[in-house]
Amino acid sequence: MTPAAQRRRIPWLPLTVAGLYAWAFAAAPERAWQALLVGARIFASVGLIIVAVFGLAGLIQVWLDRERVTRLLGREGGIRALLLAALFGTLLIGPSYVIFPLLKTVREQGARWAVLGIVLAAWAVKIPMIPLEMEFLGWRFSLSRSLLTLAFAFPIGLLLEAALEFRRKG
Amino acid sequence: MNRVGILYVILIVLAYGVAWRRDREKTRLSLAAAGRSLRSMVPILAAIFALVGLFEVFLPPALIERWLGAASGTTALLAGGLLGAVAIGPPAAAFPLAGTLLQSGAWPPAVAAFIVSWLLVGIVTLPFEASVFGVRFALVRNSLCLAAALAIGLLIGVVL
Repeated sequence: MTPAAQRRRIPWLPLTVAGLYAWAFAAAPERAWQALLVGARIFASVGLIIVAVFGLAGLIQVWLDRERVTRLLGREGGIRALLLAALFGTLLIGPSYVIFPLLKTVREQGARWAVLGIVLAAWAVKIPMIPLEMEFLGWRFSLSRSLLTLAFAFPIGLLLEAALEFRRKG
Repeated sequence: MNRVGILYVILIVLAYGVAWRRDREKTRLSLAAAGRSLRSMVPILAAIFALVGLFEVFLPPALIERWLGAASGTTALLAGGLLGAVAIGPPAAAFPLAGTLLQSGAWPPAVAAFIVSWLLVGIVTLPFEASVFGVRFALVRNSLCLAAALAIGLLIGVVL
């Protein structure tokens, strides 16, 4: 994540929300205040969890040896590669403009298409975020969502590979 | 006070303690990385929570029920999946928004489809994905993931 790339991005979301609030304050100032308070209260109630999420993300980012995993994913084949891809995906953290190029390197090191598909699907499990998810949606929801996402990662990866290889032969 | 938050913070502090004993320099780097991403996320998170507040106060629950309620069935599921697919924003934003939808009477499978598709499908990042992996890869992967989001939504409905 280069600082320059970040600076170039327009903060469209804060701007949009600020615009919506400007409209809300003009239309119904009291309810706009109420909305702002509700938002602030929820933000404060999950502040600790958010700090912890980023704490864990920082640890993983530094301690997970991405180069080693990249080499491993390229070298391994069969079931082991797929399981490793799922494990790596669940631990992977970062925005798509970091993850996509990283996976491009994984592919160049010889990984199967299924490995890329599985990593990208398992990337949606977001282990560090799970306590935050439980807070808003409950633990049953969060647990089912995570396990199902992990389970679906395999068919997604294998079907993606099948589609890409099939088209290539034809 | 938030018990989950306190527990989670304690766990992370312990993890940092263990890491500190193994390698101080790397632990310092981890802390710096955590602080950096937290700082860069604060404006976005503040905006998201402000948006959640607006939704709770201004968005009539009847509207959410009509589009995402259980009575709408397939429409609700598809609406959830498509909303998630076009949504842009950090995953940390998906959960509070989804929580609001759930509280306002949205059908749990539709909410699950919304979250999973938010995390798995990226319509906005599609051009970028295609430029890195090729058009075919991007189209096939996002289609598969949208289908998976709908299927996962339905299955969560069975579990809950």
